[in-house]
Amino acid sequence: MSQTTFERRGRSDLERAQARTGYLFVLPTTVLYFTFVLVPVVLTVVLSFSFYDPMLGSRWVGFENFTRFFTDPRSLQIFWNTLRFTFFAVTFNVGVGLVLALALNRAMPGWMLYLFRLAFFLPVMIAIAFAAIVWSYFFADDLGVLNYYLRLLGLPGVRWLTDSSMAMTSIIIMDVWKNTGFFMIIFIAALQGVPKPLMEAAAMDGTPAWRRFFRITLPYISPVVFFAVIYASIGALQVYESIVILTQGGPGDATRSLSILIVEQGFGSFQIGYAAAISVVMTLIILAITAVQQVLSKKWVQQ
Amino acid sequence: MNVLDTQASRRLIDWAIIACTAVMALGMLMPFLWLFSMSFRPVSEAYQLPPSFLPPNLDFSNYVAVLASRVPFLQIYANSLLIAVVVTVGQLVTCSLAAFAFARLKFRGRDTLFFILLVGLMFPAQVTILPIYLGYARTGLINQPIGLALMYLTSSFGAFLMRQFMVSQPKALEEAALMDGAGYFKIFWRISLPQLRPALSALGIITFTQTWNYYFQAKVLLGREQSMTLPVAMDVLRGYLGSGNLSLVMAAMSMSILPAVLLFLIAQKFVIEGITMTGIKN
Repeated sequence: MSQTTFERRGRSDLERAQARTGYLFVLPTTVLYFTFVLVPVVLTVVLSFSFYDPMLGSRWVGFENFTRFFTDPRSLQIFWNTLRFTFFAVTFNVGVGLVLALALNRAMPGWMLYLFRLAFFLPVMIAIAFAAIVWSYFFADDLGVLNYYLRLLGLPGVRWLTDSSMAMTSIIIMDVWKNTGFFMIIFIAALQGVPKPLMEAAAMDGTPAWRRFFRITLPYISPVVFFAVIYASIGALQVYESIVILTQGGPGDATRSLSILIVEQGFGSFQIGYAAAISVVMTLIILAITAVQQVLSKKWVQQ
Repeated sequence: MNVLDTQASRRLIDWAIIACTAVMALGMLMPFLWLFSMSFRPVSEAYQLPPSFLPPNLDFSNYVAVLASRVPFLQIYANSLLIAVVVTVGQLVTCSLAAFAFARLKFRGRDTLFFILLVGLMFPAQVTILPIYLGYARTGLINQPIGLALMYLTSSFGAFLMRQFMVSQPKALEEAALMDGAGYFKIFWRISLPQLRPALSALGIITFTQTWNYYFQAKVLLGREQSMTLPVAMDVLRGYLGSGNLSLVMAAMSMSILPAVLLFLIAQKFVIEGITMTGIKN
């Protein structure tokens, strides 16, 4: 008690003014954040345990929505699609981005670097909804641009979007085209942090390039690689419009993702509780990935 | 050391790598060149093979046809602009205010609040959209472009980016002003904000393009034609105008991607800096 009195007496006018301004300045962000993020998240969690009926009100159903999700072969197939998409999209987005960054991380005229960044980053700026429409003509069977070139090389055309074993691959190809430039930019910046004298000394000693990469470059940029993997995973798990526009989730359910299922269930068949449960599952995966990354990156930095 | 590993041969390898990258870069640009070229062609040439990647002339009749069609393209364009501008201005204001408080002012609960805000980086739109939809349905904000804008007047990402940037700036000027008896608001407005200009530009451009490109949220909340935004409308347009007329769709598309492309051409430096800041400072 005496402690607080002492503190209170000790606080100067300046400190009080500072606190007042502080609260005032964070007020808009705090109010908006609670209204449009935190409260909706809590409500979604509540909804995920209920059967929502706009007329009769909600009914608590416990884990029923989650049980349904994890036992229905169709939703499991869609879950698996999403995980598969995430794994390959992340691997190739980050991998290709890193290779491109290594390729561009050398002496070249400024205008050339500008043009390269332009070419690889432009897709990042464009809505994937726009890009997907263009790609749907590239991926078309008979009149498609890609198949035209394949035939020109004497190869058989590929049924990019209509073959259920190919469709997901096509969507991943477009996703890498769209996003890899983002990771390239991050890696270019990270590579500039690798000490040059160390690299030069290693080169003088005759250390081969691949070993210099694994022994010096990669350890230096590993925190950024971790960040990139997490960032890419969070984005990939939410994949929606590229699939909606290219295949509508088909053929069959071959490319349907969790986000598509959420919209279909929540806004199509008004299974609000079930849709909420699916989005909770998605969020839990994101939280888990982030937690794993935190632990791993701490371990890595300590080594 | 063998002879191959000389300066000259290393430069040869450099140029070989650059040449390969150039071929890839050209491949990356193909979809853009194709859509641009298509938007200037009569529909009779739309499906021609081999595909062409350069416009034959600068005949804007497809563009005029889109604007004159029965699809309210200008209304849709205006919706997109309204949402993107309101969100961008809103975030610049709310995030820079919050960043100043988090980086420069001491108050009880500050670090807890900042942590809670950071947690928001992990929530996808999918986990907030259902309650927002239900709430909007009750308050009449469904099919109102401003409803979508309201959701994004602040962002965890923006507040975080601006705070990180502000923390890295020297405080000397602000402390001197405080000694001279300036109030905190004046210090924020006259000293901190001008210093933040690069971060503001980066956040502004990133926010504008991100908002311009929203699809999932827009599709759920803005389903009526009059209230649609461009990314969602484009797929609808394809059905209406489309029906074979690829050239019109591509003309509409060129107009739709124009703001993002222009922003990037003008301010490549800020975009790259902003992205780099988020990646490196984690």
